Amino acid sequence: MKMIFLLSWRNVWRNRRRSLVVITSIGLGILMMFFMMGISKGMNYQMVDNTISTSLGHVSVHRKGFLDNIKPSYSFVPDEDFMERMKSSKGFSWAPRVKVQAMIRSSESSRGVMIAGIDPERERTVSGIYEYTSKENGSDFLKSSEARDILISKRTAEKLDLVVGDRLVLILQDVHGEMTGEALTVKGIFSSPVGDFDKHVVFTGLKNLQRITGIGSRISEITIKAENRDLSYRIKKRVEPWLKSTDVVVKTWQEMAPSIVSAIRLYDSMMYVFFAIVFTTIVFSVANTMVMAIMERFHEIGVMKCLGTKPLNIFIMILIESLNLGLLGMAAGMIAGGLVLGVLTVTGLDLSFFSETMSILGSGTVIYPVVTVKDFFASMVIVSCTAVIAALYPAVKAARIRPLKALHFI
Amino acid sequence: MGKGVRMKVIEIKNLHKTYQSNGQEVHALRGIDLDIESGEFSAIAGPSGSGKTTLLNVMGGIDRPDEGDVIISGQTMKGLSESELSKIRLNRIGFIFQAYNLIPVLSAVENVEYVMLLQGVEKHERREKALAMLRDVGLEKESHRRPAQLSGGQQQRVAVARAIVSGPEIVLADEPTANLDQKTGSSLLDLMKNLNHERGTTFLFSTHDPMVMDRAERLIRITDGRITL
Ligand SMILES: Nc1ncnc2c1ncn2[C@@H]1O[C@H](COP(=O)(O)OP(=O)(O)OP(=O)(O)O)[C@@H](O)[C@H]1O
Ligand SMILES: [Mg+2]
Repeated sequence: MKMIFLLSWRNVWRNRRRSLVVITSIGLGILMMFFMMGISKGMNYQMVDNTISTSLGHVSVHRKGFLDNIKPSYSFVPDEDFMERMKSSKGFSWAPRVKVQAMIRSSESSRGVMIAGIDPERERTVSGIYEYTSKENGSDFLKSSEARDILISKRTAEKLDLVVGDRLVLILQDVHGEMTGEALTVKGIFSSPVGDFDKHVVFTGLKNLQRITGIGSRISEITIKAENRDLSYRIKKRVEPWLKSTDVVVKTWQEMAPSIVSAIRLYDSMMYVFFAIVFTTIVFSVANTMVMAIMERFHEIGVMKCLGTKPLNIFIMILIESLNLGLLGMAAGMIAGGLVLGVLTVTGLDLSFFSETMSILGSGTVIYPVVTVKDFFASMVIVSCTAVIAALYPAVKAARIRPLKALHFI
Repeated sequence: MGKGVRMKVIEIKNLHKTYQSNGQEVHALRGIDLDIESGEFSAIAGPSGSGKTTLLNVMGGIDRPDEGDVIISGQTMKGLSESELSKIRLNRIGFIFQAYNLIPVLSAVENVEYVMLLQGVEKHERREKALAMLRDVGLEKESHRRPAQLSGGQQQRVAVARAIVSGPEIVLADEPTANLDQKTGSSLLDLMKNLNHERGTTFLFSTHDPMVMDRAERLIRITDGRITL
């Protein structure tokens, strides 16, 4: 057995140039694959994380139908027992919000928005809005829940020609269905990686918005943020039984944004297509090399068989030789991929020339690639299998070489 | 010569072999009867195309006859499976071909070890025997060279070493000197003869070189697939 390994290994280096070409092409394939995978996964993660950190949260508690009707009437008062449990539970953070459709108007222009009333202290623990808010040029995050202040995005500010300290008019339908207006001061300017969010969302204090809409102490939702996004379902299952009212529901981000989930799936399946292409290339280049190698060694394999080498041993020898090529290629690809991705995870990949698309996707313009240990092992297994599969036909051919014929063949 | 009791190593009975070549039948062997006894140093001689290679191949279980039988030390080769034949080749027969005998990626000593490895000889013993064998064929210093770094004559010496190291009952050599010059061929022959004397190894080789025929102790002439006298 050791001899088989030795033979296979030395045979790899027999036609150095040819083997290096194969190894390099496999390496490049793997590098490409890791790069694509890392970038797309990174993009995916950022897309989801940004959507979560701007609007969704991991889990939301709200009234049935609220997601389709963002109105003051779809508000609720969480019962005391529930709030007690929320306050004393560990493993996640939470914040109450009021959300209504509204319009803001400056002297220049007006725009339809969704205004969210937030508890400034609690909000910092569940979303990224605090980080997104500029702390320069007088801009600042909301200080109190009651103040008649508003946070608007940089984009909205430009559109409405507003700067920090300016006043704008908020117009909305209150709980009774009456139109009401209120003048608010621009307290801060924010800028998130999600274009849609910047276009349509503005913030004010929770109590301020409760007062304007006239809903009293009612809220629209409680947003929960877990330690990581994969815990959403577990949190939902934990929180759900605490609710007495059947009218209030608990939803995970996956349930609230099925389009993101399907976008991720689409990405994944695109990746599979890409992998398939890379691996077909590997299969053919390896198979081709191995067939050529066997043709060259026709006589020699014949001699080996004359001496009494079993066909099975020849078969294994060829498979291992191919596996050696595959693994060397993979090692090369992984080292190169590791270096490239390693650098990119620190520096990020700046795709700002696609800026428009990127902010529509909500991933931000600088992508930090993500490769998991699972991807690493998966590709190791896949490359090994591919190399072995590619060598099957040549190996069977080699095992079947008739010594008599081979001896004639010099 | 004349040491010990002489035994039939190979018995050949009424061997026939026909090849199909471009729709034409070529009778390579037409009824060969031959006995080889242990300790022989014999040559099969005959013109090109007379069937020497075919006869050696059939004797060595590389080719199968259409008719007749080859019996090696009482064991018939008739009806044996491919793997049974391969076992006989491994354990009872040593092969030396005209050229390109060696596995190019293995060093001289590894080539000699290869057969013992297939036989399952333990590593330490294998190496020792292979080195001793190379010493006997005068290639002590070259033992770690690859075949490409050896001359044709040296390669054939390694092939001889490999053929006899496993202690086969007979060594079959198809024109072992054909690719060598006169002097090298002659010294290879000396080597084989020495081994034949010292170890009693049975050699059977084919040739059409008169010099080689002279050195054989028994000459088997073959023409058109038949033994002639
Ligand atoms: N595989 C084969 N297919 C068809 N015909 C063959 C085959 N092998 C040998 N022959 C024919 O059988 C006959 C005997 O061939 P063989 O190789 O045994 O001769 P030889 O005595 O070894 O000749 P040489 O001295 O040239 O090596 C020749 O006529 C040859 O053409
Ligand atoms: Mg011949």
